[in-house]
Amino acid sequence: MTAHDQWNQSKDDPLGLGELEAIDPGYDGWSDIESALLTHKNSKRSWQRAGGWLAVAASLVLVVSISMRNIESPATNTPNIASVGESSSAAYDSQTDNVGALIGLSQNMENQVKQLRQETSSMPAESAIYIAELEDLIAQVDNELSFTPDSIDLWGQRVNLLLDLAQIYQQQWQIDYGRMAAL
Amino acid sequence: MMMGSGFDIHLDEVTLAGAKRGDTRACEKIYRSYHGPAYTLAVRICKCRELARDVTQEAFITAFKRVPQFRGESPFWGWLRRVVINHAISSLRKQPRYDAVEFEEYMAHTSGDQDGLGRAMDLSQALEQLSPEDRLVVWLHDVEGYKHREIAEMVSKTESYSKTRLNRARARLRALVTNNDERGSLVSNNGAAQNATA
Repeated sequence: MTAHDQWNQSKDDPLGLGELEAIDPGYDGWSDIESALLTHKNSKRSWQRAGGWLAVAASLVLVVSISMRNIESPATNTPNIASVGESSSAAYDSQTDNVGALIGLSQNMENQVKQLRQETSSMPAESAIYIAELEDLIAQVDNELSFTPDSIDLWGQRVNLLLDLAQIYQQQWQIDYGRMAAL
Repeated sequence: MMMGSGFDIHLDEVTLAGAKRGDTRACEKIYRSYHGPAYTLAVRICKCRELARDVTQEAFITAFKRVPQFRGESPFWGWLRRVVINHAISSLRKQPRYDAVEFEEYMAHTSGDQDGLGRAMDLSQALEQLSPEDRLVVWLHDVEGYKHREIAEMVSKTESYSKTRLNRARARLRALVTNNDERGSLVSNNGAAQNATA
């Protein structure tokens, strides 16, 4: 027995409501639906890109942190004078590179957060408070960076705070999307 | 002539697979096939045509976004119909003047001011006179073939609620239509008597 047969058998219509004629919509709403679907598709792509970028940024922060740890804790073998000089120079170059990478990362993260903020709907009160706290912390870090602009630690903190901020926006988007899909 | 909401239209696998991939042409084909049934169902539940139009549009957008999750365990039309019903129920719940309108309609029916309403009332118009809950339950049960358990789940109520609403809705519809028939036969009898006298 097909689902259609079952459906027919389960019908119990003593008043004959099912014999009422279908209603002609008298309009064509396809173009509106099509544009809504295109907007959704583009939004989904930008969020996927943002998600990918977050993963890359998190990995970079991790790499920088590990490399900094290695610089701060050199090999335990007793070094001669020449090797100390070489390792100091290498450490300085490495630190400069890492600061540059973190500044670039921070700028990119900032642009991502700006875009995510524009595409996210209204936030629950708890998330809004958390966002405000994170933005305060970023402002504090910026203030400290104005005195020590080459601090790798401060730039790392800034990138981590921006990552936290981006994750909140992304989670909210996932909630919105899930809610819509559950309808 | 299509009867009821006419949703039970088979969808071919190629079109369904296309819609799952996000192919716009496949989505348009689905829209063209089910637009009428979806709109009819929305009007029967919501009564208001403008509201039904919004419900239909939103339902299709939701359906196309969610179609990749459709597993095919039931016919596609049944799945799509459920999306339309969910949107219709959701929109009814959002109506701000919902209670006030129903009360006014109720008073019009019980105050003896029936002439204007009863004179031209057919089953379709009688259905519109029901409360949104009664209309929803009687349509879903009698036309769409849903069981009380399923209706109760849709409206987050008990099966008893669905049964009570169904009995009330049928009784009210019978009363409205019978009243109309009696008036109709009285008018035609009077007309015949006048013709005979003449």
